Amino acid sequence: MNQNLKLIVFVVLLGLITSGLLLGADALTKDRIELNREAKLKSAVLDGFDVEYTFANIHDIYADEVNIIVIDGYTFYVDEVSNKVSYQFEGSGLWGPIIGIITLEPDFETIARITILQQEETPGLGGIVAERPFLETFVGKKMTPSLDITKEGATQDYEVDAITGATGTSNAFEIILNTNYETYSALWQARNE
Amino acid sequence: MNLIRIKYKKWYNILKDGIATNNPIAIAVLGICSALAVSNRVENAIAMGIGVTFVVMASSAAVSLLRSFIPGKVRMVTYMVIISTFVIIFQLVLQAFYPTIADSLDAYVGLIITNCIVMGRAEAFAVKNPVKYSLIDGLASGLGYTFVLIAVASVREILAFGTFLNIRVVGPNWINWVAMTMAPGGFFVIALMIWGIRELTKNYETVV
Repeated sequence: MNQNLKLIVFVVLLGLITSGLLLGADALTKDRIELNREAKLKSAVLDGFDVEYTFANIHDIYADEVNIIVIDGYTFYVDEVSNKVSYQFEGSGLWGPIIGIITLEPDFETIARITILQQEETPGLGGIVAERPFLETFVGKKMTPSLDITKEGATQDYEVDAITGATGTSNAFEIILNTNYETYSALWQARNE
Repeated sequence: MNLIRIKYKKWYNILKDGIATNNPIAIAVLGICSALAVSNRVENAIAMGIGVTFVVMASSAAVSLLRSFIPGKVRMVTYMVIISTFVIIFQLVLQAFYPTIADSLDAYVGLIITNCIVMGRAEAFAVKNPVKYSLIDGLASGLGYTFVLIAVASVREILAFGTFLNIRVVGPNWINWVAMTMAPGGFFVIALMIWGIRELTKNYETVV
């Protein structure tokens, strides 16, 4: 009995101490993580608009340059100078959510830039989805009639090469981009008419 | 201190044991799953190595500190709770203070929880030894893991992408060896490496 009591006391104490440590670490880092997340989103939008910034003045530049338009709860980031439009896309990848920012040219169908904010794909395989060289292959491609991430080798202006060894991630990414584009382009066209 | 004397010191022997004599991957064959997943880029291997080294050291020290209180029946659960706590704290600190490293490391930090080396060192060493030696043992195992990972990743990255640390090292006619990017390629490289090391060190497992 004494043994069992000792065991229970130990387990309860261990639980309390470790949860205390985790709560403490979370409280200490929460605000900074939120700020970093915001800075990441802002830098993705500004990169899409080719606006120069440094990490010291990113918040001011963002406030000056980026026009935020909300339609039916969906947020569009618009650059008054170049008329480029960005929006945030998200959906399920192979292992977890893929969230990113896509910037489109003023015609709302040519891709100017894509940045991935969050992904949990297989390191080195699907994880390539967040890497610059892969995302560069989307620049200048068209979202209409629909973007096609293909294994056969891209020939058309709506086709992009898939990631070698990561068919699941490539397919998921294609679906995420297309479904988000349908929603956002419908809203954007309705507003402009 | 006399140089020759060093090899009679306990800390030197623990270091040598972790890095070479009992290397966690090459000799003990632990942590293979994470080694296969992250060894296709040298960059990833270094990042994972740093993470694992930190977590082994921290959790070994904690287990060693608590060793006289941990009841035998729940010791595995205790290790697991301690390891997970450190991994989560490490992840939060990275995200808060080193966001760029956190971005490239995020997927691997979670993987450290499943790394058998951390659990293995807690059970095989930390629970029986004082804190300072547990810290050295953690460092040794972490470094041993990191060195093998970097060696495997160097071979795989060059064959798979034609690059080393993302710098192109092969000629224009090179054709990327796609199998090397995937886990089976990692299996081949690690297996050949373990074979080579055991052949050189005459370290054989005998079937009785």
